[in-house]
Amino acid sequence: DAGGGARKRRSRWADEEPKPVVQLPDFMKEFTGSMDLDPEVQALNIRLLEISRMLTSGLQLDDRPEGARSPSPEPIYDNMGIRINTREFRARERLTTERADIISQLIKRNPAFKPPPDYRPPKLQK
Amino acid sequence: QQQVALQRLVFQAGAMPTKVVCLTQVVTANELRDNDEYEDIVEDMRGEGGKYGPLASVVIPRPGPNGELGPGVGKVFLEYSDLDGASKARAGLNGRKFGGNQVSAVFYPENKFLQGDYDG
Repeated sequence: DAGGGARKRRSRWADEEPKPVVQLPDFMKEFTGSMDLDPEVQALNIRLLEISRMLTSGLQLDDRPEGARSPSPEPIYDNMGIRINTREFRARERLTTERADIISQLIKRNPAFKPPPDYRPPKLQK
Repeated sequence: QQQVALQRLVFQAGAMPTKVVCLTQVVTANELRDNDEYEDIVEDMRGEGGKYGPLASVVIPRPGPNGELGPGVGKVFLEYSDLDGASKARAGLNGRKFGGNQVSAVFYPENKFLQGDYDG
């Protein structure tokens, strides 16, 4: 009955409640009854959190004691004059690559996954 | 095999994104029996669901003429034309209230939906 002007009535949908500002870590979503019950996805999320924490903590990433290391090679510097052949540099690079890898896997599994703002998708080889 | 088992698990949990979002605990068989109420519910679903992306179809299974409850009565299926709309709707509608009921939104397997199998 389109005539007579559609009858006025309220939608049964309640107004959208403002979403809580604090976002739970992804691996907690299991308890909020939504998605990611997939144990593999959970493991990825946990590792991602761990790496992100390590990278931002400012702590030394390579914690092998001085005596357990082999002698250092001649230093190599990048064009900014920063030495690049240090254990610390390699450790950081390793973690950064792993992190990017985990994020791209999470995106593949769940297109709705929100990557951290500093994430850049890997460049496709030409 | 492990991969298959995993996939099934994900499917059941409704975590794997599909174009079909299924709302559960939304409507009662009683509300669906009444034609006017049914129309209202369809309209509400189209209105709210359409905010998240273009809807391909809205399916709300109804009880039979003698009151028998078919599969899927009480659920609402929103089929989107793309994954993007469906993902936004699942996230946006999950936990919302519809007529006082707290709605839970999950992805529903597209193949089952297309076969008219609403019993998931």
